[in-house]
Amino acid sequence: MKTSAALLLMMLFCLTCSPARAEGVRVQVMDSYADMHTGPASEYPRFHVVEKGEWISVLKERTGWYKVATESGKSGWISARSLTRTFAEDGEQITLTQPSFEQSRQRDWEFGLYAGVLENTTALSVSAAWVVTENIVTEIAYTQALGSFSENQLASVRLHHFTFPEWRFSPYVTLGVGQIRTTPRANLVQSGSESRTNDLLEAGVGFRYYLAKNYVVRLEYQRLLALIERDEQEELESWKLGFAVFF
Amino acid sequence: METWFRRIFLSALAMISLGSPAAQAQQSIYEPEVERREFNEADIDSENFEIGAFVGVVSIEDFEQDTVVGARLAYHISENLFVEASAGFATAGQTSFEVLSGGAPFLTDEERDYTYYDLSVGYNINGEVFVTDSLVLNSDFYLLVGGGSTEFGGDDRFTISVGGGYRLLLTDYFALRLDVRDHIFNSDLIGEEKATHNLAYSVSATFFF
Repeated sequence: MKTSAALLLMMLFCLTCSPARAEGVRVQVMDSYADMHTGPASEYPRFHVVEKGEWISVLKERTGWYKVATESGKSGWISARSLTRTFAEDGEQITLTQPSFEQSRQRDWEFGLYAGVLENTTALSVSAAWVVTENIVTEIAYTQALGSFSENQLASVRLHHFTFPEWRFSPYVTLGVGQIRTTPRANLVQSGSESRTNDLLEAGVGFRYYLAKNYVVRLEYQRLLALIERDEQEELESWKLGFAVFF
Repeated sequence: METWFRRIFLSALAMISLGSPAAQAQQSIYEPEVERREFNEADIDSENFEIGAFVGVVSIEDFEQDTVVGARLAYHISENLFVEASAGFATAGQTSFEVLSGGAPFLTDEERDYTYYDLSVGYNINGEVFVTDSLVLNSDFYLLVGGGSTEFGGDDRFTISVGGGYRLLLTDYFALRLDVRDHIFNSDLIGEEKATHNLAYSVSATFFF
């Protein structure tokens, strides 16, 4: 017990005393020059030019801009476009990568926000997907559809199959299972709100379009089958258009 | 850890070289030590997320106004575009009818809880603020539009939110924000259904990570 506590303390101590992350990454500029801006956007004024062969420290990245510091102590933002080709300290040529379509094919995670229509009511959805292979993607999704008479909440686990992942505009089929919870409007129910939960089956088709950087647009059509009673089913139709970011 | 290894290695080396002075004569152990770090792009910190808390005032149509508190999480897609999820909480007051008549309340205490979330897309118009000749802070004015849900009066209502704000970056990663947003949803709590406008002003402190 005592030894484990001591070990834990030592580990904690090591964590706290481990050298702080080095101040950025040192690279040598290979392109003829790079403009340094006062902020991470092209609108911010240029105030310095980094010359070819100059050593700089890359401190951080934001939306396609690198914060860098020169050896003379100047610091500012350089766009990723003008800093793609550099040398590392060991003389090796390196490419600072920005998300591209190629990387979209090697993505691991994708998170999305969607707006759509579920049986004439406005629906909002969020999704988180884990990419198993280039063709197969698993996803969990949550939808809230707010109508004049009831509120519907849908949660599902889905499987997408991308037949042509090498296409920028890539179609997919989707199958899923989940649950739907329907709560009638409070003013329609006399004795408090009574909600019911039913199982749900989903099938649909969709398109994923690589837009730029690390984001994509998705359009999806689904037929949903709510298993209300043993012999009763309700069929629902859903359209959604959204926007997803991959990592 | 590395230093330990180096120390052990160096002392071992020193012992060996002491043991064989001939070897010491042949080659110097004091080779120039150039520390070369291996390049790893993951060492470059990415700061595209922004997280923060806000406090402000929301005027709930027909139901007075209250302090609203909440949180925001944004992801910056490009230098101009960002997406943001916000959630807020307030408590509604009484309608003027309830106050004047002194009669039965429209809503229970629980139904007066006003909770909302929204998912918005924002557009930044970048700029700078010249505080003094030498102190210049980056800032931006942004416009937002989004959809979400408001739970009020025992129901969830689809809510459209539109607004704008101002972000002042005190450092690269810490910002102060002023937001004005109108949350619009249909309500039939006091009679016929109508679109209600619920204006919220807020101040937030956010961090980029």
